[in-house]
Amino acid sequence: MNQTQTMTLPIPVRARWLTLLGWLALVALVAAELYGFRVSVPDRDMGNLQKIMYVHVPAAWMSFLAFAVVFGASAMYLWRGEEKHDLLAASAAEAAAVLTALTLALGSIWGRPTWGVWWTWDARLTSTAVLLVIIVGYLALRSFTDDPERRAKWSAAVGILGAINVPIVYMSVRWWRTLHQIQSDPSTVDPAYVKALRVNAIAFLLVLVYFIAQRYRAARIERAIERDAEERAFAEGSTNG
Amino acid sequence: MGEWSYIWAAYSVTWVALAAYAVYVTRRARRAAEAGRALNREAGENA
Repeated sequence: MNQTQTMTLPIPVRARWLTLLGWLALVALVAAELYGFRVSVPDRDMGNLQKIMYVHVPAAWMSFLAFAVVFGASAMYLWRGEEKHDLLAASAAEAAAVLTALTLALGSIWGRPTWGVWWTWDARLTSTAVLLVIIVGYLALRSFTDDPERRAKWSAAVGILGAINVPIVYMSVRWWRTLHQIQSDPSTVDPAYVKALRVNAIAFLLVLVYFIAQRYRAARIERAIERDAEERAFAEGSTNG
Repeated sequence: MGEWSYIWAAYSVTWVALAAYAVYVTRRARRAAEAGRALNREAGENA
């Protein structure tokens, strides 16, 4: 495997921009949610329940984006064999799991008063649940496999398979007759709600970037520490042998 | 349950999920950075 991208001592540990990004994401999220509450008028059919869209839809979009990162980084790992791509895919996978679970929970909370049920085996809901199972499986696979190279290869394959499910989730509302409405995007949402939806999506994007960047930073440092320990053990073994 | 109960539930779940993961990921990165710094110091002393 190509190991040219691995870290050696000294390990770069400073990342002040990440602290700034974290605070920026927090402020943006608070401001975006307040903005959504302030500007949106009650929907004709759903009333104020429409406001759930400002968290449910951005959470779903960002979960798709996190899966796209998993896909891209996994493909890069299989192509180039560089550890940094494996660590990036794993970092994005954790964020994808959190956001997919959040999307399902918010959809359930929204579904109860609008559809009358917490859950139904609708194509959109079921395909999203499958996506969650795959990404949880990806994380479980990583935690059960000790050999870093084997772990990276297997999880890259699972990550790519999981991400391939994303277009199916996205198109499910058009391909099958579903209880879920068609995709929410600026072309399908009432113009009165588009700006607030965009503002909330940007805030969620900052949160996602923070999650992935911070987790990736931790993963890189942890791996560098592990490698240093392995090298020391090897050196001690060579000296004693 | 009135409609506002569902809205508050949705926003509360969002904040709990995002805050919990943010705390986890920040603390993990901070712990890793501290361990990395200690290793860097040790390497500097042995150099």
